[in-house]
Amino acid sequence: MKYFKLPDLGEGLQEAEIVRWHVAVGDTVTADQLLVSVETAKALVDIPAPYDGVVAKLYGGEGDIVHVGEPLLGYEGEADAGTVVGRLEGGGSSQEDSFFIGAAPSTREHLATRATPAVRQLARQLGVELSGVAGSGHEGLITRTDVENAAQTELDRFGGERLRGVRRSMALNMARSHAEVVPVTIFGDADLHRWGQAREPLIRLAKAMAAACAVEPVLNSAFDGKSLSLKQHERLDLGIAVDTPDGLFVPVLRDVGHRTSADLKEGVMRLRADVQARSIPPKEMMGATLTLSNFGTLFGRYANPVVVPPQVAILAAGAIRDEPVAVEGAVMVHPVLPLSLTFDHRVVTGGEAARFFKALVEALEQPDA
Amino acid sequence: MSNGKVTLLEAVNLALHRAMSEDENVIVLGEDVGVNGGVFRATQGLRDSFGFKRVIDSPLAETMLGGLVVGMAAQGLKPVVEIQFMGFIYAAMEHLVSHASRMRNRTRGRITCPMVMRTPMGAGIRAPEHHSESTEALFAHIPGLRVVIPSSPARAYGLLLAAIDDPDPVVFLEPTRLYRMNPQPLLDDGKRLPLDSCFTLREGSDITLISWGASVMETLQAATALAERGVSAEVIDVASIKPLDLDTMEASVRKTGRCVIVHEAPRSCGVGAEIAASLYERVLLELQAPIQRVTAPDIPPPLYRLESLYMPNVEDILQACDNVLHFA
Repeated sequence: MKYFKLPDLGEGLQEAEIVRWHVAVGDTVTADQLLVSVETAKALVDIPAPYDGVVAKLYGGEGDIVHVGEPLLGYEGEADAGTVVGRLEGGGSSQEDSFFIGAAPSTREHLATRATPAVRQLARQLGVELSGVAGSGHEGLITRTDVENAAQTELDRFGGERLRGVRRSMALNMARSHAEVVPVTIFGDADLHRWGQAREPLIRLAKAMAAACAVEPVLNSAFDGKSLSLKQHERLDLGIAVDTPDGLFVPVLRDVGHRTSADLKEGVMRLRADVQARSIPPKEMMGATLTLSNFGTLFGRYANPVVVPPQVAILAAGAIRDEPVAVEGAVMVHPVLPLSLTFDHRVVTGGEAARFFKALVEALEQPDA
Repeated sequence: MSNGKVTLLEAVNLALHRAMSEDENVIVLGEDVGVNGGVFRATQGLRDSFGFKRVIDSPLAETMLGGLVVGMAAQGLKPVVEIQFMGFIYAAMEHLVSHASRMRNRTRGRITCPMVMRTPMGAGIRAPEHHSESTEALFAHIPGLRVVIPSSPARAYGLLLAAIDDPDPVVFLEPTRLYRMNPQPLLDDGKRLPLDSCFTLREGSDITLISWGASVMETLQAATALAERGVSAEVIDVASIKPLDLDTMEASVRKTGRCVIVHEAPRSCGVGAEIAASLYERVLLELQAPIQRVTAPDIPPPLYRLESLYMPNVEDILQACDNVLHFA
């Protein structure tokens, strides 16, 4: 006999009272046929048959209390399942059981590459596929030298020149940034008609960025993507991208917010001269909290500048040019500075970036002091 | 036995019938094994066929049972004793460790101890914690004991017959969860399977999955899922936990370079640790990735609502495979 036990009726109810049996011993029932109505503390519940069979026994009469898990009804014809503690599931996959005693035939003539974990790691770093390397060590063991030679051979096959110094670090930093940062770029213009004749916007841009940082300090912060933690900087140390024949240098102009324009101008001149002479000390190029690219002095309007972690934003200034602008319904020609602000959307919201940008442009559009 | 297919439980029963009819020295004893046919009915019909002198209902006293079978075996009988659940076997531990396992050594080979201690093992049947454990490592640690765990009807049949033949004590652990799962065609031909060999259930070339007992089922399912992703997994059923057939495992891992070990027993000092350490000694230079273990946590089996979280499932195995495969 196989038992059908009172199932869990939900809502944490542990018992039910039998109200009426709809089947009798000897009846043939089909799955889902109504077996019994029971009353719980909350409702009258109809319990259907779980599967087809012949009723062998009813447990309890009308008015009796049955607890969840207790037998309600017995089916005929089932094999004796034993006095089991717990429940044995039947069925399972129809997959046929087949096996080799011991090892599979294919294990016998196999030749794998042999190398220590350290050499495998080296091969991974150098991009060497070990299966293509002939081992020179004991019993075909691939050695460190084998891997290094293979890497050199790869290099020789491609030819070309290996990147060094600043260009090498540019390649590494840009790739790292691309892999990590979620960049969004906003474009905007500053109308410079209230400026004097001077068209050298670098210092004004630096001061305007400091003003914007005061409005939205989150743009002037460091972000660690691994621990997902943010550190806000108290002062603005501005990295200034400087183009040289050797590559891109980014010396740092310290504490932009608290220095006078004249002082900053002198600082910039000195940094530029040092970079051109390649005499800038490495520490002068470290610790920028935000970066400015003034690429417009060469050519171009807008860009998608690349945020370099742990910084969270970068501003790029294009070339100033005279453009027609609408002023109170009339068309005027004003000098216009095109700007592109890229921010890391993991850290900075669109709203923060837009407010930063607006404050920056408002500061820029003030007349020269 | 429906459609000519046999469950693991029925395979055990067939093997017991076969062994008792082949050799009158084979004696079956244990709690409820006679009239009742055993708690899971593994010994059903034996008493009717072979009588109450060879199929003995014992008192509820595992310590006594342990001592009784050691004495019987030392004097030339071949006792097969059933312990109702693995959680009750510890009362017989003294006899297993201090006497059965050492009989051959202690008597300088004069007397051996040809006994089999059968017991259901493992979780997944909604039973309490002391009916659900997998403590095979305890027995595997004892020199002189064989530990065997079948994972299919055919292996249960062939290995149990071999265990009864064997002149040394065998702890024969039957995965309760598999007792009625996956019935298979089985020829009751008395053919033995080797006790010192793994079984390769699936041939593959990219990764070796090693398991035993009930976890073999999830391991095979993981291998099928890997095949759908184009990863060819070799699946090995260790079956003989002691002594281990390291040669087979070594050959496979040497071929694939990658290995995941799956067992339902808790992790610390589990048999998986022994296998991993031995493979590192043998195939370090061929390994493409660190060996991973998928095991139960170091806790007693929880009550049944949490059981499925305790036992390694297919997703756990696939996660470990991903870890191993991600090493290029």
